[in-house]
Amino acid sequence: MDARSHDRSRQAHDGLVTGACVAALACAAIALVAAVAGGLLRACPAPAPSTVPSWLAAGAASHAALMVCGVLGTVIGLERAVALGRWGAFAAPSASAGGALATLAGHAEAAGGMFVLAATAFVVVNLAILRKQPAAHTAMLLSGALAWLAGSLMHAFGDGTAVPLWLSFVVLTIAAERLEMTRLTRRARHAGMQLWAVTAVMIVGAGAAASPSGFGAAGPGVFGASLVLLAAWLFTHDIARRTLLTEGLSRYMAVCLLAGYAWLGVAGVAWLGLAWGLPVRDMALHALGLGFVGSMMMAHAPVILPALTRVRLRFGTVFYMPLAVLHGSLVLRLAHGAGDPIQRGVGAALNALAIALFAATVLASAVAWRLTRHRPVSLEG
Amino acid sequence: MIASRTVEVAATAPAFPYSGPEELRLPIRNALSRVVDPEVAMTIVDVGLVYGVQVDDKQVQVRVTMTSAACPVVDVIIDDIWCELSRAVPESLQIDVEIVWEPPWTPDRMTDRAKRTMGW
Repeated sequence: MDARSHDRSRQAHDGLVTGACVAALACAAIALVAAVAGGLLRACPAPAPSTVPSWLAAGAASHAALMVCGVLGTVIGLERAVALGRWGAFAAPSASAGGALATLAGHAEAAGGMFVLAATAFVVVNLAILRKQPAAHTAMLLSGALAWLAGSLMHAFGDGTAVPLWLSFVVLTIAAERLEMTRLTRRARHAGMQLWAVTAVMIVGAGAAASPSGFGAAGPGVFGASLVLLAAWLFTHDIARRTLLTEGLSRYMAVCLLAGYAWLGVAGVAWLGLAWGLPVRDMALHALGLGFVGSMMMAHAPVILPALTRVRLRFGTVFYMPLAVLHGSLVLRLAHGAGDPIQRGVGAALNALAIALFAATVLASAVAWRLTRHRPVSLEG
Repeated sequence: MIASRTVEVAATAPAFPYSGPEELRLPIRNALSRVVDPEVAMTIVDVGLVYGVQVDDKQVQVRVTMTSAACPVVDVIIDDIWCELSRAVPESLQIDVEIVWEPPWTPDRMTDRAKRTMGW
């Protein structure tokens, strides 16, 4: 095989992988639009219209399932499938994307089964990755996958709530990725053990909070404490404090990460507040789901999207705009949102605007790269 | 990978194992040093991901690793390596990039410059 034919076979394989990624990402994007629209419907202070399109009703009723399983599960599943480089690994994101479409089509039970299937396949994929690279961070990724499976089983067959387990899936996945990056620094000797201790507390808390009784205040309280501890660990050990001093994309990612860690701490305090019976459910869910996870997605999208779609992006300081809108609108939403439905609704609408702005920024940066690809490109914003 | 940053490597930069024509040593090292991990703003040479380069009369074989088997950026990094090497070596040479997991990457492989950046 000469170099050129070798290139062609690789390009053909890459084309199929990219096609699979783009198809699944398109489903995730549909799920995102429906989930955001459904979330806005729920946050709207005005009475809901008597009739809404069925997809919008599904988006409102299944907001968490669509966001965690349909959007994040699909994207994270694609990341692992591409990393593992085996076609079978695409079963996970395919099933979660299918589950999202089934949800919007009104087949909630079938969707629940598909999310269980997706999470099961994802556990198998993570076992394969752990076998390929036995390490603390790959083991932690597996613990996140198991949390997704537990949450999806609860969603499909249980009497409790899947949300704490689903959130643990996303949080542990991010924690594992950051744990891996800390290997680049001179990490404190007990840092790894500390993170595993936090993980154990989180799994116990999420499991308790997900049970039908929630174990009273214990479940949300323990879960909240684990989030606070994780935020403290990330602030202490993550490389973001170092990369904040770099430039361009690396600095932008560091800003996203550190802002996200602040929201993680806020979310933890809000879960503790829930345990005390305070009316902070919106803060508990969205400081975590939007402030922490949303910020992580904005941080990593400029790196991950090119890896999945082979569409390259030209980074620029414009990426800070949707990030600023996201965090500013979240402050607006959560600062007085519990007692002021109008402010909460406006904040939620601006949250949605931040997501739309980010999507537009990504598209514009892809166009900018195509226009400038023949010129030298630097990492500077 | 967003883009490759132009980085000319000092001749004193720690080298990875290399075997092949001496006149290609520096061009290849410079080419690999233009492949950047955007999250940490360091090159794959500085992070210590390059395990070795072997050049014969038919091909350039590059052995690289990743810090994580769960990272999807691997194919982009391979593409970047191909792209940079194709500008640095004669067209007659086939470019072969191999991902290896043994021995596992450790921070000991980072260059002094990378360690300074990360606060070692």
